[in-house]
Amino acid sequence: MEMDQLRKTAAEIVSRDDVKYLIGWKQGTFGYRIAPSFVEDASGAAELLFSPLCTANLATYLRLVETLPVPRGQEADTRKVALMVKGCDSRAVAQLVVEKGISRDQVVVIGCPCPGVVDVALLARKYPETEIPAELKWNGSGFTLVRSGEEIKLAREEVLAEKCRLCRYPNPVISDIMLGEQVIPWEPSADSGVAEVEKKDYAGRWAYWEDQFSKCVRCYSCRNVCPLCYCQDCILDRLNPTWVNRAVNFSENTAFHIARAFHLVGRCIECGECERVCPANIPLGRLNRKLAREVRDKYGFEPGADPEAEPFQASYKPDDPEDFIL
Amino acid sequence: MSDNYEPNIVAFLCNWCSYAGADLAGTSRMQYPANIQIIRVMCSGRVNPLFVMNALQQGADGVLISGCHIGDCHYMEGNFYARRRLGMLKELMEFIGVDSRRFHMSWVSASEGHKWKEVVEKTVEDAREAGPYEGFRRRRIDW
Amino acid sequence: MTEKPKVGVYVCHCGINISATVDVDAVAEFAKKLPNVNVARTYSYMCSDPGQSLIKNDIKELGLNRVVVASCSPRMHEPTFRKAIKEAGINPYFLEMANVREQCSWVHEEKEEATAKAKKLVAASVAKVRVLEPLEAKEVDAEPAALVIGAGIAGIQAALDIADAGFKVYLVEKTPSVGGRMAQLDKTFPTLDCSACILTPKMVDSANHPNIELLSYAEVEEIGGFIGNFDVKVRKKARYVDFEKCTGCGDCASACRVANRFPSEFDQGMGKRSAIYLPFPQAVPAKYTIDPDSCLFLTRGKCGKSPKCEEVCLANAINFEQEDEIVEFRVGAVIVATGFDAFDASRKPEFGYVDYPNVITGMEMERLVSSSGPTGGKVTINNGEEEIIPKEIAFIKCVGSRDKSIGNEYCSRVCCMYTAKQAHLLRDKIPDANIRVYYIDVRAFGKGFEEFYDRVRRENIRYIRGNPSEIFKRGNKLVVKVEDTLTSTPLEDEVDMVVLAVGLEPRADMRKMMDLLRLSQSPDRFFLEAHPKLRPVDTATDGVFLAGCCQGPKDIPDTVAQAKGAASSAMIPLARGKVIIGAQVANVDESTCRGCGFCVSICPYTAIELVAVNRMGHQVEVARVNEALCKGCGSCSPACLSDSIQPKSFRDRQILPQIAALGVMR
Repeated sequence: MEMDQLRKTAAEIVSRDDVKYLIGWKQGTFGYRIAPSFVEDASGAAELLFSPLCTANLATYLRLVETLPVPRGQEADTRKVALMVKGCDSRAVAQLVVEKGISRDQVVVIGCPCPGVVDVALLARKYPETEIPAELKWNGSGFTLVRSGEEIKLAREEVLAEKCRLCRYPNPVISDIMLGEQVIPWEPSADSGVAEVEKKDYAGRWAYWEDQFSKCVRCYSCRNVCPLCYCQDCILDRLNPTWVNRAVNFSENTAFHIARAFHLVGRCIECGECERVCPANIPLGRLNRKLAREVRDKYGFEPGADPEAEPFQASYKPDDPEDFIL
Repeated sequence: MSDNYEPNIVAFLCNWCSYAGADLAGTSRMQYPANIQIIRVMCSGRVNPLFVMNALQQGADGVLISGCHIGDCHYMEGNFYARRRLGMLKELMEFIGVDSRRFHMSWVSASEGHKWKEVVEKTVEDAREAGPYEGFRRRRIDW
Repeated sequence: MTEKPKVGVYVCHCGINISATVDVDAVAEFAKKLPNVNVARTYSYMCSDPGQSLIKNDIKELGLNRVVVASCSPRMHEPTFRKAIKEAGINPYFLEMANVREQCSWVHEEKEEATAKAKKLVAASVAKVRVLEPLEAKEVDAEPAALVIGAGIAGIQAALDIADAGFKVYLVEKTPSVGGRMAQLDKTFPTLDCSACILTPKMVDSANHPNIELLSYAEVEEIGGFIGNFDVKVRKKARYVDFEKCTGCGDCASACRVANRFPSEFDQGMGKRSAIYLPFPQAVPAKYTIDPDSCLFLTRGKCGKSPKCEEVCLANAINFEQEDEIVEFRVGAVIVATGFDAFDASRKPEFGYVDYPNVITGMEMERLVSSSGPTGGKVTINNGEEEIIPKEIAFIKCVGSRDKSIGNEYCSRVCCMYTAKQAHLLRDKIPDANIRVYYIDVRAFGKGFEEFYDRVRRENIRYIRGNPSEIFKRGNKLVVKVEDTLTSTPLEDEVDMVVLAVGLEPRADMRKMMDLLRLSQSPDRFFLEAHPKLRPVDTATDGVFLAGCCQGPKDIPDTVAQAKGAASSAMIPLARGKVIIGAQVANVDESTCRGCGFCVSICPYTAIELVAVNRMGHQVEVARVNEALCKGCGSCSPACLSDSIQPKSFRDRQILPQIAALGVMR
């Protein structure tokens, strides 16, 4: 995708009367950092970019933005929000539409076909960040890193994010404007992370997750970053009833993670944001992807693939699996 | 694991079929293990799968959910939802390493006192084999 | 702010039903130590008047505001205790019952275990009762009309009773005529009244009663709503005969190009009818119907130059353009009187029903001996070679009843007596016949039954105890192979005719009714009543009642009695004009609702809708519950990610303390 085309299109969109602002990516202030940008005018549009460093799923901001009370005598601003999405991000938008988190006509979806983004933490380990922002580009077969004036070619597999190795939707499933050419989907690799847990017995699995959940500091980043965790009053924060005590210990952490994962059953669109932001490096993606796979294989449902779909958690099929019932 | 371990089972039963079936087992004086305690809800569709999580956290060694047979739900569709929700919970629990013997679900109608007895025996036996559940039990229970 | 809970715990001995296995005093002592419990007592029968007074006095004197009763199942006495505490001035929903009888003392023998479990159940109930909320039951208007499905004797009687009381009745019958099975019977046991003579006047009444709207040749398609307000949709099938114009003269049936070619359903296929027909001469309404499956014009689009029936009908009643008609109405109560199927004798191939024309069923015998039957009441039978008057006749009882091999464990209750009656009738018609009855037991339990059985036996009808194993042909005779189990003698009995006393089975199409009305089946597959002893005509669906053989095999007096019972039960909401709707309905916290609409999709009663509200100046959608439609199942609640929709009395915050209480004492 040409950055000129992106910026020109963005400028046109934000100049529309029915658009409040556009949410996109822009260069951060350090190393490989990319910042979300709320663009309201042409100057903001000129800063936008799309690169393999744009890992964040901006769909989160559709619901994360604070809804301030409307002062008396004023009208609520009901203009549309424009949003840049990768393939995975677009599924979040579609799923939000399914569950009426946002109405389709309230969002202008700018589709960005995505050849795969990098695992920034992995990249930074291999090629340490410099103070001056660096640039990363797709080069057809892999990535080109431009850092402190030097150009380094990286093999795709070397730094590709795990979620992209498993990606089945590199092209946005919904969009109003598509930027650049569609990407040819690649053969997703086997989910070795989930398989690694699956091959253990119950005790082994428990030991594995016990290790993981014990690390949790209950910062709730995973919940807050998730585009589909947007209840104003999360039940896991609530005291009456108390589903989860506030104490940070293994018992409550486990309950928190079970509840979080369960609430995403049939809703998680596998953008991997929860795992990316986890300061304790808990492989939450494995939990989500395992459930997503069961939903797909056993129930034939793929969240975020169809904005007209019936929500998984609010529907059933007469022949849903019941081999586990006595 | 002590030899005299007796599992503690919490069961959620729908009012119209399974609870009535358990009542029938009583009226018919069938004998079954006393390890099971029943919480009555109106429909298996009312059972929030997180109740299962909560029960394990609060000291249960096993959980049972029972409703009307498919097609017989007093509320027409509740058990269809229960089946989907609890099926997914089971996947989740097994994936994180909770022994599947701690969690059962059954369809027991109002006339199946005998089946209720069998379901209880199976649930208790399985939980007994799986042993006392420490897992993520809450240490201090404050209620 | 609600006041601090003050809980009273009442542990029932239930005579010794509970106290024999549960140490009730220990349970009460334990309960006293539970949080917020002010008093705990035991009593021999909590549900008795003094038991209830005990609770009421404590409420008044100790200022209790919550009550836990540890006794039998809440399905039994919850209404009793609700009423009691309400009378004492506290909200009836501040009650929780611990089921220590059906689910504890009766199912566990070991006293220590049972007592420990009873304590837990009480602790869970106390934990819940502390956080219950006061609720108020609401009333809605009830439509003063009833729907009766099935117009056999049960349906007719129920409809007449309700109509006589002054309420509108919609009587829906699937076939072209009312009357049902009873219309097919010749005489009735044990009094030998002529079945048609006692039934026909009622049939006519059911059609002419000013309060009854008879919808014959019609089927119920949909029933929505709930007690007091069921919305019913009925399909009136096309008769292809103008109901108003038809005079019932019958010219059409005689003129029909395929006259008397088709087996008559009424005569059990032994007689014939035309494609346009009246099921039987006394049919009500006396209006002809064209059978779309046998009419030449309707099946092939052509009937000679023009259909004969059309040519001969002076009233111009034939109308091939007629279409099914949908009728919609609202009723306050429903009576299901859909009857039974006679057991299909071909499912017992050893009796040769399919192979030998002289093996017939009891229902066929009814038509054969009837003076209005296909032979005019003359008993003759084709033995495979010629039409003869049978001289050697065997009855076989319990065909399709008391037989695990075909899945019918129950007794059909009528076969013993109808066999006796038919044997008696045959004795009258063929005085020199040798008649024997093969039986397992003779059950002559009803009024006048034993006397009748005794009379029949004295009419030289032999009762032989034995369950035949096989029937086969030898020459022009049938051989019944059987062991006389009283003398241990194997017999090969040569006869001219065998009558199989087939039992009664649930109707093959009952599933449709179950789906329409959310009915259940008992183990015998007949419809399940709400309580086998105390609510035999009620069902688990409020406002829906059962009458007649759809609930289980019955003879005519029992059917009529149950129909009258169902009618009077159905009239309760109609006469009150109001029904109480459940207070335990779903409730939405609009401040936390995300408006995702999951609950809306889930609700099977369309009781929830999304409505726009103003939240701090922003238009948002939230779920709202129509309490008149909500049945309180709570299926919506687990799908609500923000826990905003919750069924009252079964909220998460009311159930989690129960779970905690059960877990705490591992």
